[in-house]
Amino acid sequence: MTRGALAAFLAPTDMPATAEVVIVGGGIGGLAIARELLAHGMRDLVIVERGYPGSGATGRNVARIRAMQLTEALTHVARACQDKYDRMGDELDFNVLFYRLGYAWVLYETEELERMRDIVAMHHRIGVRSALLSPDDTLRRLPVLRGGDPVVGAVLNDDAIVHHDAVVWAHLEHLAGSPVRLLAGTTVRAIEVGDHGVEAVETDRGRIETRAVVNAAGGWSGELNDLARVVAPNRPLRREVLVTAPLRRSIDAAITFYRPTEGWFNQTLRGEVVMGVVDPHEPNGVDQSSTAAFLQRTASLVTRKAPALADATVIRQWAGMYDVSPDHLPLVGPTRQLDGWWQANGWSGRGMLLAPYLAELLATRMTTGATPDRLEMFDPDRFDPAATAAGHEQDYYARYGAR
Amino acid sequence: MERARVSFTFDGRRVEGVDGEPVAISLLAAGRRTLSRSFRFHRPRGLMCSTGQCGWCECEVDGRPSVRTCRVPVREGMVVRGEHAWPSVERDLLRVLDLGSRFVPPTFYHHRFLRPRVLRKWYLDVIRWFGGRGRLGDGSSVDRGSRRVRQDAPDVLVVGGGAGGLSAAIAAAEAGARVVVLEAEAAPAPAGSAGDGDLLALAPAGLGVEVRFSTVATGWYSGVVTAVDGESIWEIRPRAVVAALGSYELVPAVPGSDRPGVIGARLAARLLAEHRVLPGERAVLVGDGMELTAVGAAFREAGAAVMGPIPTTALQEVGGRGAVAWVVYRGDQGAARRESADVVVFGDRTPNLDLVIAAGGRVGWVDGRLAAQTDPDGRTSASGLFAVGDMASPDPEATAEAARRAGRAAAAFAGQALGAQEQADRGRPSAVAATHATRVTRTGDPPRSPTDGQPPKPGSPHAVLCFCEDVRGWEIQAERAAGYADPELVKRRTGALTGPCQGKYCLSAITCAFNDGNVATTSTGDVLLPTGRPPLRPLRLGDLVVEDPT
Repeated sequence: MTRGALAAFLAPTDMPATAEVVIVGGGIGGLAIARELLAHGMRDLVIVERGYPGSGATGRNVARIRAMQLTEALTHVARACQDKYDRMGDELDFNVLFYRLGYAWVLYETEELERMRDIVAMHHRIGVRSALLSPDDTLRRLPVLRGGDPVVGAVLNDDAIVHHDAVVWAHLEHLAGSPVRLLAGTTVRAIEVGDHGVEAVETDRGRIETRAVVNAAGGWSGELNDLARVVAPNRPLRREVLVTAPLRRSIDAAITFYRPTEGWFNQTLRGEVVMGVVDPHEPNGVDQSSTAAFLQRTASLVTRKAPALADATVIRQWAGMYDVSPDHLPLVGPTRQLDGWWQANGWSGRGMLLAPYLAELLATRMTTGATPDRLEMFDPDRFDPAATAAGHEQDYYARYGAR
Repeated sequence: MERARVSFTFDGRRVEGVDGEPVAISLLAAGRRTLSRSFRFHRPRGLMCSTGQCGWCECEVDGRPSVRTCRVPVREGMVVRGEHAWPSVERDLLRVLDLGSRFVPPTFYHHRFLRPRVLRKWYLDVIRWFGGRGRLGDGSSVDRGSRRVRQDAPDVLVVGGGAGGLSAAIAAAEAGARVVVLEAEAAPAPAGSAGDGDLLALAPAGLGVEVRFSTVATGWYSGVVTAVDGESIWEIRPRAVVAALGSYELVPAVPGSDRPGVIGARLAARLLAEHRVLPGERAVLVGDGMELTAVGAAFREAGAAVMGPIPTTALQEVGGRGAVAWVVYRGDQGAARRESADVVVFGDRTPNLDLVIAAGGRVGWVDGRLAAQTDPDGRTSASGLFAVGDMASPDPEATAEAARRAGRAAAAFAGQALGAQEQADRGRPSAVAATHATRVTRTGDPPRSPTDGQPPKPGSPHAVLCFCEDVRGWEIQAERAAGYADPELVKRRTGALTGPCQGKYCLSAITCAFNDGNVATTSTGDVLLPTGRPPLRPLRLGDLVVEDPT
């Protein structure tokens, strides 16, 4: 990237009239797809972003890059996703601070422990070296849990975190100076559709003729699908986060507990603790406002599991959107409903992990027409178009692990 | 009455203090000026604001991490330790990081530490070791007793019980509103200072004003104001809100102005009057503000040499090896002059915009200060939110009258809201009637005050502007020049505004640096600000624990 290229990329003066592909959404999904299409030789690409790059869920998440998953199919994919992040520094010549902090599902119910035995066996079968820890080993490895609710065990794996903003910057600096164009601060107003599918994207800054649109709009993908009269079952769902003042290194794994209540916390490289406890009654809908109830809920439950954290001080809180699909797997690929309409959404809280790798598969599909094996499970047409995500939010992981 | 002397330890050494005075003041009186080290470059920091807001006095106290020692009464046997320093905050060897700081922009590691690959994890382990601040205890003795959640719904909520807040409160109550005032301090401010507790005593009896002392407003959540008072968490749903939060110290934007010994005028006045602590023998006064003149007189009376006040724009550098040892300033003839000093007292202040920004109200440059944009009745662009100015202004009577007008306008707004609700209630079964027909929400129809819209000249590019993250002016400029021209991106790239002071001490300077020579306003002329994030104050998690969370 030459000097000045980034400034020109981030603040273009002209509006393109045509594009081979218009990618709607400048978060990790849209940026990664642009990168992969570029790598596959496409050049005439435009990214349309309503805010600034990463202003949606990408800039609001905590970027846990976890290979161990609850199902075999997803663990295979997630491991490839983690490898993709491990290579990202070399490939983009940008240190995204990929760091194997470790990741633990901490268990509080015997029933959960039994379920995890099977899952750990599955991990071992396919080469993920997760470990089921005894209660004593759990507290030895994670002393922050001492004095809290009694644990029955934990599943620990050598999983990673990255710096979410750095991932955005790495992509921006990679794309700057390439033929890809980014239109930040630009809103899509309408999608023009003709007999042969997509014909143009109408934005508040002008019209772009194109035969291919990628919907990478995250929590706003439903609104965009509506403009194209494409039906998808995704529903936006708010998740809240808080962060504490930095503390010395004291928590050596990202922790998630989810029965009977779902919550999580981990320490960043700088020492801040990010955490959240989910509201099981959170209604669907786009809403990025913070709540006082979240602070109280999170403080009450997290300090019950980790009493030492009562002395941490919260200095900031925010909210971001999940784009939740009925089976909590994303929709990545073409849809039979409209020629030239490509879905890359429904990440269900896994966009940061999944998007860079699935973007690679999607780019293969878009440029060669052949569907990579691992993309099949994300076929957007796997749902009955009338299906909705309603009823699945009550227990996020129950559905996630049911497959 | 003489209070008992107590002894406690700081970094293992015995220190004496007066029972009940703030720990940080005992330490200052004992000559311990460096209380903490900055996060990035381990720059020495000392007591600066004494209101629990800047965070420069954070230490570990009796095992609790990052406690603001200016707000904690000293007790016999206390164990106080400096944080984020080795071997001690006074002689922190990690200060070498500051020597190379000019070569280390905030994002430097994104272009390093990739090779050799085998060391990649180790590099980040080292970065992790350098990060952090306070030590988390083992959790065996933490306080996490449940707080009671209490509700209230006054007609008018006044946040801040200083002279402006109380003037507004009394005016609103006289107009018939039920008024609640939240005041963070435990008692009314002494008469004649920025607050004026006598106001209430002078007000007619039977007025509907309830002042809740020791109650800190902690957040604005779509018109619901939260507050904590040590026992309870308040959720207050007022019909109208008056923000009367006063101002914060505006640290001069010159190199070295974050050294221990650079203190705000109000702290200097308190040290001399309340604690009989002389913070230095050779004082330099900088800037203006009505407190500064009184401080100068008090210093002289206590036998100190005083220079100034000099204009803030004349100050060029605050020098020293750790704490303040000299200042460089431009004299009358324009030539740079050097003056030895061991304390620098500055008087400039900047409006406290916490609540206005949280509510989405517009702010802009008014007479060179970043302030809420209001109409003459104090109405902000956030519907139902009124703002009154800092009473420590050149003309207190004019600001008092403005506060009274805002109080009356808030009462009228609350009355309209009430009327609208009563009408709504009559029109439908009471069981489904909304509790509040009109809630305080953001609207798109702002009143505007005549503002010149011009930011002041930004300070030196080598000055630290964001103290929590040690962000200097040139770093803001460099990010903007590189193309990260959105303030939200600059915030993320540099960390400015995201530290433990939550942007209170850098918002004005960072916005000013960002705006310099740049079209940093939106098409409607608003100043571009990064998103405000709640809560309004750092909150200990243990103080947010409730019995039955929802």
